[in-house]
Amino acid sequence: MKWLFFLGVFVSLHSQNKQLLYGFKEVPQQLLLNPGGQVDYRGYIGVPILSHIHFNAGITGFSAFDIFADDGRDFNQKLREVAYSMDSKDFVGFNQQLDIFSAGFSVNTSLEDKLFISFGMYQESDIFTYFPKDYAILANEGNYNNLNRRFDFGQLSVSAEVLSVFHIGVNKKINTKWTLGIRGKIYSSIAQLSSTKNQGSFITVPTANNNLNHIFDLDMKLQTSGISFLREPDVNDELEVLKKRLLFGGNLGVGIDLGFTHQPAPEWTIDASLQDIGFINYSKDVKNFILDKYLEYDGVQSVFPQVTSGQTAQDYWDEVSSDFEELVEIDSTTTSYIKWRPIKLNSSVSYNFGRKINKECNCLDKLDPTFQNRVGAHLFAMKRPNHLQWALSLFYFRKFYKNLQIKTTYTVDAFSFTNVGLGMSAALGPVQFYIMADNLLEYQNLAKSQSVSLQLGFNYIFKNNEN
Amino acid sequence: MKTQSFFIKYISLLFVLGTCFSCIKDTDFEQYDTLIIYPIVEANLVNAQEPAASFVDSSGAELPSISDQVIFDVFNSDFSVDNLIKAELVFGITNSINKAFQIKMDFYDSADALQHTFSIDIDNSPTNTPLFTEHIEVFENMNLLALKSTHKLEITITMISNPTSVVLTPDSEGSILLVSKGVFYLKISS
Repeated sequence: MKWLFFLGVFVSLHSQNKQLLYGFKEVPQQLLLNPGGQVDYRGYIGVPILSHIHFNAGITGFSAFDIFADDGRDFNQKLREVAYSMDSKDFVGFNQQLDIFSAGFSVNTSLEDKLFISFGMYQESDIFTYFPKDYAILANEGNYNNLNRRFDFGQLSVSAEVLSVFHIGVNKKINTKWTLGIRGKIYSSIAQLSSTKNQGSFITVPTANNNLNHIFDLDMKLQTSGISFLREPDVNDELEVLKKRLLFGGNLGVGIDLGFTHQPAPEWTIDASLQDIGFINYSKDVKNFILDKYLEYDGVQSVFPQVTSGQTAQDYWDEVSSDFEELVEIDSTTTSYIKWRPIKLNSSVSYNFGRKINKECNCLDKLDPTFQNRVGAHLFAMKRPNHLQWALSLFYFRKFYKNLQIKTTYTVDAFSFTNVGLGMSAALGPVQFYIMADNLLEYQNLAKSQSVSLQLGFNYIFKNNEN
Repeated sequence: MKTQSFFIKYISLLFVLGTCFSCIKDTDFEQYDTLIIYPIVEANLVNAQEPAASFVDSSGAELPSISDQVIFDVFNSDFSVDNLIKAELVFGITNSINKAFQIKMDFYDSADALQHTFSIDIDNSPTNTPLFTEHIEVFENMNLLALKSTHKLEITITMISNPTSVVLTPDSEGSILLVSKGVFYLKISS
């Protein structure tokens, strides 16, 4: 159980921010973040399943340690403290990506002109939920000490999706200053659910004579697609369905990534990209649940039958209980729906310096004339249902020898102000291994960490002839 | 070249170790087993308002009592039986009739056996000004078990002769208002 939870926290992930990978031009997977990134190799083949493994999990407002610390304090007390210290803007996020295959190669259209084509397929899971504070307060306290308090049911905002993405990108170095790129994507959604446009409230209002009026105003919607296979009695059938959907048998969508790199001078680099400008049309295996009700309840009126004929308390109560039954009756539809993919922006500005000097001639080393150091700032932003998630990083990139590069980042985001990350790419011959992890300061005790991000992979690189 | 590969190996090792040996300390993830919440829910129950004339029949004679009953399947629902740890029924009675009353609440189970009963005495209001009486019936332990088996509730309002011997007529002033609500203390555990 402990390990399962650990995995849950570790694998659950927040931001999809890959500040270490972005702009790390030796690692081909950076082209997934910016199709217009610089490429200085002839081609690559990602080791299937192992070319890009990415986990990112994050929570705001608390860490697992706040709740699960083995400090002898009452668990429920700790949970309450955490729940009360959070607000409805706090969130929990999880993102995971796995490259199934990927490769790239350059195509010479003329002696000078070169296009770099890269393609592949990856699987992605994303779960995101805001903390529905009012639900937590209502569940924990009830309405007794909360008369006149409006419990906002709109705070429930949750989305989850598993999908596979097939992509093909073109990267073109226009001249020494500009590199442009575009990547087309086909999404195949395996399963999706979202409930992000909820409204409604519950309030208990005291009225005259010590009376109470309970007002339920519900306008909630849950959209799902592709989850009915979970009811398949046979696990093998479930796997069959999954396999089919992984390979374009799911709900399909299209999207593009755009990006560029601009080098106004050899020392300066400006780059930016937009990822996942696209949508998925959910039409297969769709089930939507709708709860759109309004009910006021102020007690059962007793009408004494000796006094008046007509409605008795029993009739009244029957009516009230059927009203309540109706209140929680959920309508369902199979109407198809469209969802935009969460669009992501990456951009960075960096300064390159420190060329290698050959000591023998005290001149620039001809074997590696590139800059050995790079410092810069990187901005990441992503559209979430109710807000824009952002992160700002400062980074330093250093080449040690030709086969080893290291990048370190300091990131400020909604999760922390103490996020230091380290990434490394090392090559032994043509085989490249890279690993990148952030929040290193928290690794002594991951439970205290509010976010964890890890990427690693293996590639086979075809270097340029001159290399 | 030697230093290079050494360097690569060293850094790689550092990374791999760092990732593998990152750990979670001083935590006990089993604690979640004991998740318990104690919400307190307040809800209106039965309300009634009767003018003085309600206690006079068509021939003009006083009715000694009026009563009504309601089948409530809330107290004996599975949810209540499992999670209700205490309940308070709060009655507020406002009387402006120049008659004293007794309000009696009888709790019957599904076999129509009386499980619990209590009554509230209401003073008369000689000048027809509203007089407020509050009664809180607390259900704990045995009482609570009685409440959890309650299927039917009967309310009886009985007139008590008062010292002034006023006799109600269809034109008598005042009314009796009954408002009741329940405060339910729940314990819900995961």
